[in-house]
Amino acid sequence: MEPVTQACPLDQELNPGPFSPQADALTTEHTGRMEVFQALQRLHMTIFSQCFSPCGKFLAAGNNYGQIAIFSLSAALSSEAKEESKKPIVTFQAHDGPVYSMVSTDRHLFSAGDGEVKAWLWAEILKKGCKELWCRQPPYRTSLEVPEINALLLVPKENSLILAGGDCQLHTMDLETGTFTRALRGHTDYIHCLALRDRNPEVLSGGEDGTVRLWDLRMAKEVQTIEVYKHEECSRPHNGRWIGCLATDSDWMVCGGGPALTLWHLRSSTPTTIFPMWAPQKHVTFYQDLILSAGQGPCVNQWQLSGELKAQVPGSSPGLLSLSLNQQPAAPECKVLTAAGNSCRVDVFTNLGYRAFSLSF
Amino acid sequence: MSSESSKKRKPKVIRSDGAPAEGKRNRSDPEQEGKYYSEEAEVDLRDPGRDYELYKYTCQELQRLMAEIQDLKSRGGKDAAVEIEDRRILSCVHFMTLKKLNRLAHIRLKKGRDQTHEAKQKVDAYHLQLQNLLYEVMHLQKEITKCLEFKSKHEEIDLVSVEEFYQEAPPDISKAEITMGDPHQQTLARLDWELEQRKRLAEQYRESLSNKEKILKEIEVKKEYLSSLQPRLNSIMQASLPVQEYLFMPFDQAHKQYETARHLPPPLYVLFVQATAYGQACDKTLSVAIEGSVDEAKALFKPHEESQDDESDSDAEEEQTTKRRRPTLGVQLDDKRKEMLKRHPLSVMLDLKCKDDSVLHLTFYYLMNLNIMTVKARVTTATELITPISAGDLLSPDSVLSCLYPGDHGKKTPNPANQYQFDKVGILTLRDYVLDLGHPYLWVQKLGGLHFPKEQPQPTVIADHSLSSSHMETTMKLLKTRVQSRLALHKQFASLEHGIVPVTSDCHYLFPAKVVSRLVKWVTIAHEDYVELHFTKDIVEAGLAGDTNLYYMALVERGTAKLQAAVVLNPGYSSIPPIFQLCLNWKGEKTNSNDDNIRAMESEVNVCYKELCGPRPGHQLLTNQLQRLCVLLDVYLETEIHDDSVEGPKEFPQEKMCLRLFRGPSRMKPFKYNHPQGFFSHR
Repeated sequence: MEPVTQACPLDQELNPGPFSPQADALTTEHTGRMEVFQALQRLHMTIFSQCFSPCGKFLAAGNNYGQIAIFSLSAALSSEAKEESKKPIVTFQAHDGPVYSMVSTDRHLFSAGDGEVKAWLWAEILKKGCKELWCRQPPYRTSLEVPEINALLLVPKENSLILAGGDCQLHTMDLETGTFTRALRGHTDYIHCLALRDRNPEVLSGGEDGTVRLWDLRMAKEVQTIEVYKHEECSRPHNGRWIGCLATDSDWMVCGGGPALTLWHLRSSTPTTIFPMWAPQKHVTFYQDLILSAGQGPCVNQWQLSGELKAQVPGSSPGLLSLSLNQQPAAPECKVLTAAGNSCRVDVFTNLGYRAFSLSF
Repeated sequence: MSSESSKKRKPKVIRSDGAPAEGKRNRSDPEQEGKYYSEEAEVDLRDPGRDYELYKYTCQELQRLMAEIQDLKSRGGKDAAVEIEDRRILSCVHFMTLKKLNRLAHIRLKKGRDQTHEAKQKVDAYHLQLQNLLYEVMHLQKEITKCLEFKSKHEEIDLVSVEEFYQEAPPDISKAEITMGDPHQQTLARLDWELEQRKRLAEQYRESLSNKEKILKEIEVKKEYLSSLQPRLNSIMQASLPVQEYLFMPFDQAHKQYETARHLPPPLYVLFVQATAYGQACDKTLSVAIEGSVDEAKALFKPHEESQDDESDSDAEEEQTTKRRRPTLGVQLDDKRKEMLKRHPLSVMLDLKCKDDSVLHLTFYYLMNLNIMTVKARVTTATELITPISAGDLLSPDSVLSCLYPGDHGKKTPNPANQYQFDKVGILTLRDYVLDLGHPYLWVQKLGGLHFPKEQPQPTVIADHSLSSSHMETTMKLLKTRVQSRLALHKQFASLEHGIVPVTSDCHYLFPAKVVSRLVKWVTIAHEDYVELHFTKDIVEAGLAGDTNLYYMALVERGTAKLQAAVVLNPGYSSIPPIFQLCLNWKGEKTNSNDDNIRAMESEVNVCYKELCGPRPGHQLLTNQLQRLCVLLDVYLETEIHDDSVEGPKEFPQEKMCLRLFRGPSRMKPFKYNHPQGFFSHR
């Protein structure tokens, strides 16, 4: 008995820490459990959305646990970048559910998840304990499940934000007043994606029902419907009808998903090019005279408009959900392409040829 | 004129020299002829001053005669020749005088020199004498200082002060009248007094010594008396035994155990004391016992005798071996290894009884040379268990306690010093010996109060010198949970192997009533096989597939769809959840890399495991996860879109109630089950 009773108070004197030795034994056991849990969480993380800051130096990424992480691109791209600079500078819990979509204005970052959209001030977002500026919920008809918001779209001309998702409607929110001004109905299943036409005040939406619908914002009504799955050239019934991605440039529109990735001429609503990609695509965008697309599979695909596959650049995730191009004139040194998806990593491409490195949650 | 001059010259000579001079000269001439060096004597007689006058006069005469001769020659008269002749003779005489004077001068010079030399020599002699005298003086001075500096031994003796001396010393020693004025006598007297005093003290010392001797002898006698008391007391104790037994008071037994405990090595002693204390205070189900031979342990404490024995033994052995043949190097090394891995003959047994009467037997050993503790574990159950094939490792002594604390595999020695000892005898790791020796888990060391520095600095502040008492409670609780969860798994595996997923009644609410998918296979697989599976790459890369885990393969079937699930079972189950990796064979192979919904299913069982734990302590987790997997497969198959181009009815008609089929950008299926209503929704 003696050695122990002597040494015990001595022990406590030596370590006036918050943990008693017994608590310490419990903590080691507890930390072991936490480590495994965190490793599993990271392993099953999906990054749904990403968005560059107006200054172009930061990248926000939202994952399926409702967290938004802010990465410093300028630090990660600088010549003395270390491993730590590829980790987020701030991570905060933004939503209860996944963060499906994010867009950014000059001052605000909008993030949308399950049924609500939140606004954050870029100026304060880097501070610890940042609170959202406001939180709005579109007028939903009561339902057992809160519909998610899959896509956000800024309409700069009328200073409004369009939200679309689970309730098959496009809700327009006036950013001045924060009120929902109108709802565009027409889709028969939930909406995956939105795209804005540059000249006419028209919005394109693609959804699970397999249609791409063209909406006139002034008249607030549907002007055109393209049922992609009905065109034999691009239909792929084993993959389903859904339209997962959409992009537009003047009279041209490219969309993909269950059906093959296809370039459409809008005025004549005919498919002009069908891109030979077996895997369903989840994101597509025009870039100069190329079309960039990503989806299932670890690659970013670059297409010529003629339908030729120009390059396939491998990334680090088994599947990609979003691509983002940083074209802010304020930060030319941070002009990069980022790709994120079914992993906790955001791949950064400094040129279109290869993956430079990955940012990681 | 010439005649005049000659006339004039003669008197002059006479005048100048004087008669005695002339006479002397005349006398000296014959003398000169007689003694060759008479001139030297002459020198002493002549006055150098007059010689100088003579010299001057002779020179003037010579000049005058020369001038007259010149005069006469220039006139050139007839009589001139005679007169010249006259004058020439005169001048010759003068020359003679000059020569004489010259010789004299030389002699004088020589004489002067000699005199100077002589004087100088004299001075030198005096100088030498002076030097000698000075040296002698110096030497004498040195001698004097040496004498003055001489140290007598008596100066080192610490004498009593003068006043004290005169006060204390008897007058026949102090002799004040003589010594007062004479310091020399005084010192002598003081020294006498000192000697006297010292003699007295020596006497006293001798007396004390004999006193001490006497006392020692007395002590000896008393000791003898005390030792004779012991057997008497023993016999009294012996006599009281029946009384103790009669009264059910096992003082003696406990006493015996404590007696044995005295021979335990320190770590085992700490463990024994702590475990006993904990058992008495907190946990009645814990029993502690000591096993092994006490005599052997006692023998360890007499290393001297033993070494002697050893020597003689080894000598004898050597003789024998030399007769036969020398042991090979390998045998020697083997012996050394055995010596190094030697256990202490005593061990501590802990029996931990769980609620269902199963018992965990822990035997703790102490490796003396490595200074670490090891443990062997054994589980006994109340009722005989039918061991399913896949449960082989669950209760094996090798793995039942693995990773009780995270990362504590018990395969490596916790004492960093051991590595060096191993190097010497060629042991690579302790791993090869743990089956025999028991596992040196870290918590075992802590229970024994042994603390070793960790290989890596710990991120959290950890109380050093972690001691037995601080770890006892936690460890005992963990041990109990571990045994219970292993036993629970053991039972579950038995039914899993028969394709039945046992769902207890308190977990029924987690699943719909009708589950069509069935578990058809549950087998254990090797770690290597798991690593080689193509769909487990992520888990291996994330470092979650260590070789201490247990690995299983489950197969869930519904119709033509076959779902393979590779399961990693952490030894820390059920606080650390099992990890599932899925591969669906249906219309092609689907894994998490090519199907988002497979990924979602994995995340449903792996990440959202907390809702599947069931009632505490969560032993139903694994079976609930498997049942959930069956439900997920049902949902997956029933909600799969039907390809219109293919003829015929759907293989899996939708029977589950779903609010929506797909949701979100990755088109998730409604995997979440809502209990009372019974419909499926998205998470």
